[in-house]
Amino acid sequence: MVKPVAIEIKNITKMFGGLCAVNDFSGCLFENHIIGIIGPNGAGKTTILNLVSGIYPPTSGEVLYQGKNISGLEPDKINHLGIARTFQNIRLFQDLTVLETVMTAYSWRASYNVLETLLSLPRVARFEKESREKSMRWIEKVGLAEQANVIAQSLPYGMQRRVEIARALASEPRVLLLDEPGAGLNQSEICDLVDLVQMIYEELSLSIMLIDHRMDVIMRLCQWIYVQDFGKSIAQGTPEQIQKDPIVIKAYLGEEVSCA
Amino acid sequence: MAFYLTVSLAIAVNSIAVLGTFMLTGMNGLFSLGQAAFMGLGAYISAICVVKYGFPLPLAILTSIGITIVLAILVGFATLKIRQDFFALATFGFGQAVIGVLTESINVTGGAMGFSNIPEYTTPLFAFISLAVAIAFVWGFRRSHFGRDSLAIRSNELAAKVAGINVFKHKMIVFLISAVFSAYAGALLAFHTQYVEPAMYGWMASVTWIIIVFFGGRDSLTGTVIGALVLLALPEALRFTAAWRILLYCVTILLIINIRPRGLFGTWELSINPLLRLFKPKKQQEAK
Repeated sequence: MVKPVAIEIKNITKMFGGLCAVNDFSGCLFENHIIGIIGPNGAGKTTILNLVSGIYPPTSGEVLYQGKNISGLEPDKINHLGIARTFQNIRLFQDLTVLETVMTAYSWRASYNVLETLLSLPRVARFEKESREKSMRWIEKVGLAEQANVIAQSLPYGMQRRVEIARALASEPRVLLLDEPGAGLNQSEICDLVDLVQMIYEELSLSIMLIDHRMDVIMRLCQWIYVQDFGKSIAQGTPEQIQKDPIVIKAYLGEEVSCA
Repeated sequence: MAFYLTVSLAIAVNSIAVLGTFMLTGMNGLFSLGQAAFMGLGAYISAICVVKYGFPLPLAILTSIGITIVLAILVGFATLKIRQDFFALATFGFGQAVIGVLTESINVTGGAMGFSNIPEYTTPLFAFISLAVAIAFVWGFRRSHFGRDSLAIRSNELAAKVAGINVFKHKMIVFLISAVFSAYAGALLAFHTQYVEPAMYGWMASVTWIIIVFFGGRDSLTGTVIGALVLLALPEALRFTAAWRILLYCVTILLIINIRPRGLFGTWELSINPLLRLFKPKKQQEAK
């Protein structure tokens, strides 16, 4: 049986001037799977996510989404196709409440044009009400219902991350890209976050591509792992295989071995 | 009485242009130094249409707005994808180029001598209704998804794109609206002052509007409108102080910017809710 493929990455390379951030990476995200990309700092993990989400085009190679080449498309077009993401360094909107932040994900679906806002036609009000209700549901899902009308950037870091996840979910994506969701969180927040990701994965049957350098996050969530080092792919496999792989241990867990 | 009416008409019309700047600079963080040039285009084109070609007033205004939109689309395509500081420079260049064209094409515009003999069509009522419609438009715009998108793009353009917002299209829409506001105000003003000259539409006017927006509070529509009324009236009110008025004007602005960095009104908005609350207890009593 062949599993349907959500995202297929074919030999992508990204050069920044003379620096090769990602060198000939290939990978595959099956539908309703969670894959992880791990590696030390500067391994090119975030660059891969940026290439998939359209923040910059690959120097060579292509990204296929449901069989169609999406490399080189603008980020908003890629979002419309059903790929949403979060950022490692949280990117929220100043002066917007949690609810308003999540509602921005519905903007592009708006059925009214700018002249209709003057007349405040019922169509405008209906769309606003609808997107507010839908957004509220995502906010409840990530557990921020009580903070819905608080300015998002005034929340503690862990909650801000949840706002980002809610905004990504409000795009109603098929594929979710999470860029180091555990960064900057403490141990208990990380546990809650892993539970949250597990819950949305199961409930929404999403395909998730996850980046992290914390082994516990990756090992608990991912079914398949790619290991990057200095822009190159050095290994892939199930969490069990990766934990035993001598090349990975040398490149990534090396310090632990030397301590032992 | 006539003097006050004349002054308030000019203030109302200028406020429409300030509202355009409020949307562009206040809500979207795009600093255009060529906004006044759109006002010049609106003024000159509509005036020439009426005086030289005998157009009726509505058609003349529509023509000037139409030509402004076409030009704004071209300028927008050239400038809206570049960084915001370069956007300010590019629009500055555009604005000064428009002034240059208006000054040099003497046969059509009268050059630096100005263009006169424009009939007086703009009545105070017409000006005030126009301002009211403009305020209503901006109010509706801010309450819609366009308002949220504006703030999202202003604070984090990349995150806005990733959330699915077509940033270029949004900026283009805002740029066109602000250009139309400016051109419309220019047309109304031309049929009020009955005389226009290129120097009226230089970058200084654009900067004045930006100052007004930040004075009143770039996050407050109420603040912008009141800021416009105050700062546009101030030079007239201070007329008796002669040469001191420029100093007083500057001191007022400096005080506000230092004491209230987010503008006079911050994020406060005029709302009818407190008024409604005043009436509520009475109704409940009546019900009893």
